[in-house]
Amino acid sequence: MSTATSTRPPQLDDAATPDLPAVKNPWLVVTVREIMVKLTDRNFLLSTGLTVVLIVAGIGLSAFLGSRTADHTVVVTSSEGREIAAGATEAITADDSGDTLTITEVADEAAARQQVLDGEVDVALVATDEGWSLVGRESVDGTLSGALSASVTSTVLDANAQAAGTTVDTLTAGSEVTTELLEGSDERNALKSAAAFTFAFLFYMAAIIFGMAIANSVLEEKQNRVVEILATAIPIRQLLYGKVVGNSLLAFAQIGLFALVALIGLNITGAASDFGWLLGASGWFIAFFVVGFTALAAVWAVLGSLASRSEDLQSNTGPITTVIMVALFVGIFADGVWLTAASYVPVVSSVAMPVRLLHGDVPIWEPIVSLLVVIVTAYALLRLGERVYQRAVMQGGTALKWRQALKLEV
Amino acid sequence: MTNHTPSLEVRNLTRRFGDTTAVDDVTFTVEPGQMTGFVGANGAGKTTTMRMIMGVLTVHGGEVLWGGRPITARERTRFGYMPEERGLYPKQPILDQLTYLGQLRGMTRKDAASEGTRMLERFGLGDRLKDKLESLSLGNQQRVQITASLLHRPAALVLDEPFSGLDPVAVDSMVDLLRDRLREGVPVLFSSHQLDLVDRLCDSLVVLAGGKVMAAGKSTELRTRGPRQFAVTTVPDAGWLRAMPGTQVVDVDGARAVLEFDDDAAQDRVLREAVSRGLSEFTPLVPSLSDIYREVTR
Repeated sequence: MSTATSTRPPQLDDAATPDLPAVKNPWLVVTVREIMVKLTDRNFLLSTGLTVVLIVAGIGLSAFLGSRTADHTVVVTSSEGREIAAGATEAITADDSGDTLTITEVADEAAARQQVLDGEVDVALVATDEGWSLVGRESVDGTLSGALSASVTSTVLDANAQAAGTTVDTLTAGSEVTTELLEGSDERNALKSAAAFTFAFLFYMAAIIFGMAIANSVLEEKQNRVVEILATAIPIRQLLYGKVVGNSLLAFAQIGLFALVALIGLNITGAASDFGWLLGASGWFIAFFVVGFTALAAVWAVLGSLASRSEDLQSNTGPITTVIMVALFVGIFADGVWLTAASYVPVVSSVAMPVRLLHGDVPIWEPIVSLLVVIVTAYALLRLGERVYQRAVMQGGTALKWRQALKLEV
Repeated sequence: MTNHTPSLEVRNLTRRFGDTTAVDDVTFTVEPGQMTGFVGANGAGKTTTMRMIMGVLTVHGGEVLWGGRPITARERTRFGYMPEERGLYPKQPILDQLTYLGQLRGMTRKDAASEGTRMLERFGLGDRLKDKLESLSLGNQQRVQITASLLHRPAALVLDEPFSGLDPVAVDSMVDLLRDRLREGVPVLFSSHQLDLVDRLCDSLVVLAGGKVMAAGKSTELRTRGPRQFAVTTVPDAGWLRAMPGTQVVDVDGARAVLEFDDDAAQDRVLREAVSRGLSEFTPLVPSLSDIYREVTR
C-alpha cells in the first residue's frame, strides 16, 4: 500500500481560484497559438528557409553572371589588321564590363586559320579581295564580331574618305539615328515587368499556402472535435477571428522576410542603385495584400469548416484557387482597359492595382477607392464567413455546401 | 469553499432533429457534490442533452439552470466538459494544448502550464509533457482528455462516457480525481454504458429512453422504489410456497424461490413455515441498477 500522498489524486488547491476572470480577448489567445504552432512546425520553417536560400541564390547568380568577364583573342596577319583590332579593343573594354581583347600577329593567313582551328584564338581577322573576313571555328562571339566589324567599317571609311579628300564626319553628317523612349528606359521597363511578376507571384504564393493552412487548421479542430471543447470556453466567432489574424500575420511576416532578404541582397550586390521608383508601388502592394489576403482568409476558414475530411478540401477549394490564379495571370498579362477594370475587382485588385501603379501615372483617388472596395468586401466576407463557420464547424459527418450550412441551426 | 454551492438543473429540455424528437421534456437535477449517472441505450438522447447543457447545441424547449437561474455563457466557461467524441489536437505536445485550453478559460499561461504539469505528473505522464498526443496510448490520451476537463478547477462537470476505453486501474484513478472535486461541492453528471460502474459510483441516477426520463433520483430511493423481493431457499423443494396466501412467487427454481409479500403478516407466515421445512436462506433482494434500468426501460 502506498502512502496517502501518493494515492491522492492531483490537487488543485493552490492553483487558480474557482472564479477565473473572463478572457478579455480570446481571439488573441487563439492568434498566439496559431503563430506558435506554425513557428514550431518543421515543414513551415524548412520551406521558409528554402525560399530565403533561393532568393539569395537568385540574386547572387544574377550578380555573378552580370560581372563575369570575357577575354577575347584575335589573330591578325598585318599591321593594318592590328590597327583595326586595336580599334575594336576600345569598344570591347569601354563598357566597364572588364572584358579584354588580346591581339596576336602571325605571318600569313594559313597560320592564322590554323590557330583558330586549334582553338588558340577566338577569331582570325584576315584581308580578302573584297575587304575583310572574320574566321571563327564554330561560332564567333557577338560582342567580338560586332566590335571588329565596326572597327573595320570605320577604319576603311576613314581611309576612303581621306582618299576622296574629305572626312567621315562630313560624309555621315546628319545621318545619325537615335532612339528616345517616352516612358522610362529599356532597363527600367524590364525591371517593372519583373516587379509586376514578383507582386503577382508573391500574392499567389501567400494566398494559396497560408489559405490552405487556415483551412487545414479549421478542419483539424472540426475533425478532432476540439472545437466542441473550444466552443464551451469562448464564442466560436472569436476562434475564427483568431485564426484569420494569426495566419494573416504569418503571411505578412513571411513576405516581409522575403522582401527584406531581397533588398539586402540587392544592396550588397550593388544592383539596387535606383529603386526609389519602386517604393511607392510596393507600399500600395503591401496595403492591398493585407486587405485582399484578409478577405480570402475568411473564405478559406469557411471552406475548412465545410469539409469533413481533408479530401473534401481538395474539391471545395477549386473556386477560390481559380480566383487567385486569375489575380496571378492578370498581374502578368493584363494590359490597358482590362488591367484598369481588374484593378477594381476585389482580391484581383491586390495584384492589378499595384501593377498599374508601377507602369504609369494613376491618380491617387483610384487606389484609394479600390482599396475601400476590398475593405468593404473583406468585411462582408468575414461577416458571412462567421455565419457559415459557426454553423458548419459544429456539424460533423458529411461535407457541406455554403447554402446547406446557412440553413443549419446554430 | 463557499457555503452556497449551486446545483445544475435541467428543466423541460427539448430538442428536435427534423421530425424526430431526440430529447423530449427532460427534467432532472444534479445536486452539488453528487455524482449523477446518466444511463440509457444508444440514441436515448444522453449526448444531445449534455450538448445542450454545455451550450453547443440549440435548445428547442426548456432551460438549463445554474443555482436556480438560467445559466449564462460566462458561467458555462467554468464548467468542465468531456465530449463523447474525444477532442484534442493529435499533432500537438500534450502540455502545450492543456495550457492553451486553460488560457482560453481565463488562466494565465504560467498557471495553466504548472497546473497541467502537476496533473499530468499525477497521472504518470510527467516524462511525456512534450510528446504529441497521437504518440500516446489510447488510455493515456484519455487521461490527457480528463486533465483538459479538470484543469481550470471547474464549477461543474459534464462528462460524456468518461470511462469508456479505460482499464480498471485508470478508472480508479479517475474516480479518485472526481471524488476530489465532489468533496468541494461540484455537481458531476456523467453518462455511461457500464451499469456496474454506475452502480458503484453514483449517488443519483437519471435513466433516459427514447428521449424521455424514465426514472430519476437518488440511487437508494430508486432501489427501494419497486416491490421488495426476497429469496427463500428450503431443502429439498420450494414448490410449497405457491400455496401460501398473500405471497407472490416471482420465480421458482428447485429449492430456491423469489417472492413478494402482500404484507408483513404474509412474510411472517412464510418465514415460520420455511423454518419448519428446513430453511437455508431468507434474504431481502436489493435490486442492482441493471435491474432498475431494465425495469424502467422495459
